[in-house]
Amino acid sequence: MIPRRLALTAALTLVSAALAACGGSDSNSTPAGGSSTEGFSSKREAASGQTVRWWMYGGDAKVNAYVDDTVAPAARKLGVRIERVPVADTADAVQRVVAERRAGKTSDGSVDLIWINGENFASGKKAGLWLEDWATGLPNSRFVDPDDPAIRTDFQVPVDGQESPWQRAAFVFASDSDRTDTPPSDLDALLAYAEENPGRVTYPAPPDFTGSAFVRQVVAAKGEDAGFEYLKQLRPFLYRAGKTYPKSEAELSRLFGDGQVDFAMSYDPAFVNSGVRKGQFPRTARPFSLSDGALQNTSFVTIPANAANPEGAQVIADLLLSPQLQAAKADPASIGNPTVLDLGRLGDRRSLFSEAEDSPYVLAEYGRTLAELPADRVEELERRWMLEVLRQSP
Amino acid sequence: MTGARWRSGARDAALLTPALAVLALLFGGAIVGVTRVSLIPLGQNASLDAWRDLFGDPLFGDAVVFTLRTALISTTLAALVALGLALAAQRRGTLVRSLLALPVPVPHLLVATVAVVWLAPGGLADRILGGLPVTLVRDSGGLGIVLVYVYKEAPFLLLLVLAALGRGHQESDEAAAALGVTPLQRLRWVTWPTVRSPLVVGSIVVFAFALGAFEVPLAVGPSYPPTIAEYARQATQGDLISGQSTAAATLLLSAAGSIALAALAVRAARDPQGG
Amino acid sequence: MAERLSRPAAGVLAALVAVPLLALVVRAFADEWRAPALVPQQFGLRGVEVAFSGSSGEAFGNSLVVALAAAALALLLAWPAARVLGERRLRHPAPVFLLLAMPLLVPSYAVGTGLTEWFIRLDLDGTLPALVAGHLTFVLPYVILVLLSGFGPRLTALEEVAQVNGLSPLRRMLWVTLPAAAPTVGAAALIGFLVSWSDYGTSLAVGGGRPMLPVVLLPFVGADPQVAATLALLFLAPAVAVLALAVRAGRMPL
Repeated sequence: MIPRRLALTAALTLVSAALAACGGSDSNSTPAGGSSTEGFSSKREAASGQTVRWWMYGGDAKVNAYVDDTVAPAARKLGVRIERVPVADTADAVQRVVAERRAGKTSDGSVDLIWINGENFASGKKAGLWLEDWATGLPNSRFVDPDDPAIRTDFQVPVDGQESPWQRAAFVFASDSDRTDTPPSDLDALLAYAEENPGRVTYPAPPDFTGSAFVRQVVAAKGEDAGFEYLKQLRPFLYRAGKTYPKSEAELSRLFGDGQVDFAMSYDPAFVNSGVRKGQFPRTARPFSLSDGALQNTSFVTIPANAANPEGAQVIADLLLSPQLQAAKADPASIGNPTVLDLGRLGDRRSLFSEAEDSPYVLAEYGRTLAELPADRVEELERRWMLEVLRQSP
Repeated sequence: MTGARWRSGARDAALLTPALAVLALLFGGAIVGVTRVSLIPLGQNASLDAWRDLFGDPLFGDAVVFTLRTALISTTLAALVALGLALAAQRRGTLVRSLLALPVPVPHLLVATVAVVWLAPGGLADRILGGLPVTLVRDSGGLGIVLVYVYKEAPFLLLLVLAALGRGHQESDEAAAALGVTPLQRLRWVTWPTVRSPLVVGSIVVFAFALGAFEVPLAVGPSYPPTIAEYARQATQGDLISGQSTAAATLLLSAAGSIALAALAVRAARDPQGG
Repeated sequence: MAERLSRPAAGVLAALVAVPLLALVVRAFADEWRAPALVPQQFGLRGVEVAFSGSSGEAFGNSLVVALAAAALALLLAWPAARVLGERRLRHPAPVFLLLAMPLLVPSYAVGTGLTEWFIRLDLDGTLPALVAGHLTFVLPYVILVLLSGFGPRLTALEEVAQVNGLSPLRRMLWVTLPAAAPTVGAAALIGFLVSWSDYGTSLAVGGGRPMLPVVLLPFVGADPQVAATLALLFLAPAVAVLALAVRAGRMPL
């Protein structure tokens, strides 16, 4: 395997060279839908000299490094400065926009761009917090498949041009090849494994993002009532007999890394890569997915309607979709997150992606896609889990 | 005489005014703001929905009982430990006293994290001893929560008590001992009057904190029942917009509880400065 | 007899209290430290590299300025109030005490949320003065409560003696009052600084994205223990330094 630093330098050189050559994006063909390139050029002009305050989850060192070391220099070439605002939870960024809205601040807001996921986007959309009709007007959005439900909708809420895709999300598990020779192939096999190895399996408790996704995965694969039956059947064989659960994905990862449980899980397909990099997972950790299917999704960037620098934010969103930056992101030495771009639309730029290193820590594919549930059902399921699975004594 | 008393009373009021005015403005503003959030979710009309949902939720009831219990036990233990430490440390030098006070600058979240590093299954204590006899992290009784609060708050109370004991207490204590007063009696008649008020005031502050904070239960508390603050946090995670109102209502209730307790304690003491 | 026992006991206790925190130091420099290893599998500087990328330097500066300003302002405002309360000059002190204590009885998340909207309306949000004001809401009560234990009949008696002996008010303040109250002023300043330095909820809400150290630190707690431990050490350094300064200068009531 190519040493980390070498691969990263290679990726950076690639990006800089490509950007120097093309000046950011091709101006030959018109983007799919929305305004023409001339319209976007005027946005680029307006964006020059702006500082984009990008609020994003700050606990992932490799994503931080990607933004600081790859995206920011590319943005600087376009005259836009990125100020990365780390938050512990995306909801904190949304709360900020809500607070500004409550105070009647309709312009000059302190949040320009948010890295956002389904539930948070849906709540914000319902409250009318986001800038409208801009995502499809980005020049690089032509590389994205607009009919892909994972792009067109976010937790079954129509995106409506209010957010632009950035990262792929897929629900993935991890096992330690030292401890587990063959990871379970599906949910029933997982139950059988738990029965044979009591106390070695667990999942984070909803409403944690990952725990909630696991419950949704079960429900999507089996149906709601059968799914809850399954969870109740699983409960007595769980870690701590299902009386208490990890409160976060991070805690489950720690338990896994410390050998207290045999599996970890995450909605971040690169989490094993990340875990090994952080020293939290042993090097023998391997990702796997279940044959019942995996929840798959996209995470996006959105712009509050009252942002002070919406043009700069759109330039950044467009930059994030550029094939060069998406390829850099897919490199396991950087983040290892698969691209949201439709490879069929890339023409010869497609070659950028075959250069990505193969890594035992990143899955090549995730199996059958399970559709995400509508955003408003998520809360119902979380509550049902808390009442039926958690509160009921085993 | 009356004139002078009135003048000194007015002067006292003037001296108090800057601090009280700043607090009334800032704190009052904050409370008004939070109450508004609890009553008016964004984009909706004023309603008591958040409050109604709160009182109707069995999860909230369980959270209240659990939180009250852990807060009470934590505070009492912390106060006792602080008193004991103060008496043991009052003749000791600054190094010992500084070490005992070391947890004070460490924020609760970090203390909780360190507790997890040491006490969780797979943690350092586990690795050294080969296994802990009792579950301390995420146990259903909240023992982990109590332990972390005592570790963090006893030194804080210790500082308050040591400040009150000052330099004079040792002499009074030794004088009483020379007169043949037993240790228990000295505790009751010499020490307690001196430390009573800062200890009580400090304990109320500690209790209120334990009631309303989420970082420690998040790190070491059980999944069920959640504490009041965790309940509030879960409400916002569930539904971002109206969850804010639920969270605000929860916090106001917890604050009201603490204030009621403080008012009761102040009333019972009659003289909030002891004596 | 009790004294003979308490001497080593206090020392042991002190060590017991301080030792757990040493785990942070090891964690910060351990690239890999998983069970069942007692000693990290791999030492390294990844924590340091990540901790010092991004806005942590700026966050450190902002938090420092806000904490110093809040503590100083609180001392100024608290002094006259603490005199009145400490010398028991009020006939009905209870309501005043209650008002003073109230900000301490309300979860700090509430203070931040409640104030943010007002600050936004006044276009002050995200500014350093707004942060200082937000922090002052709970720093001031702490400072008053600690400070008032330094005033009382003994100090008043000393001041009267000085007055009788012809010392001017300024000289009384410099030579009698301040030195006598120094330990409690030191303790109050320390607590005030620490409370502001550690605050997360209000800094997040009122700061509007301005980097503050606890806000930068929190995302890593749990998610990336090594970086969290490194930032924690960065966070604790001034706090412990201030504690040591106060103790060294003999200003602590310890």
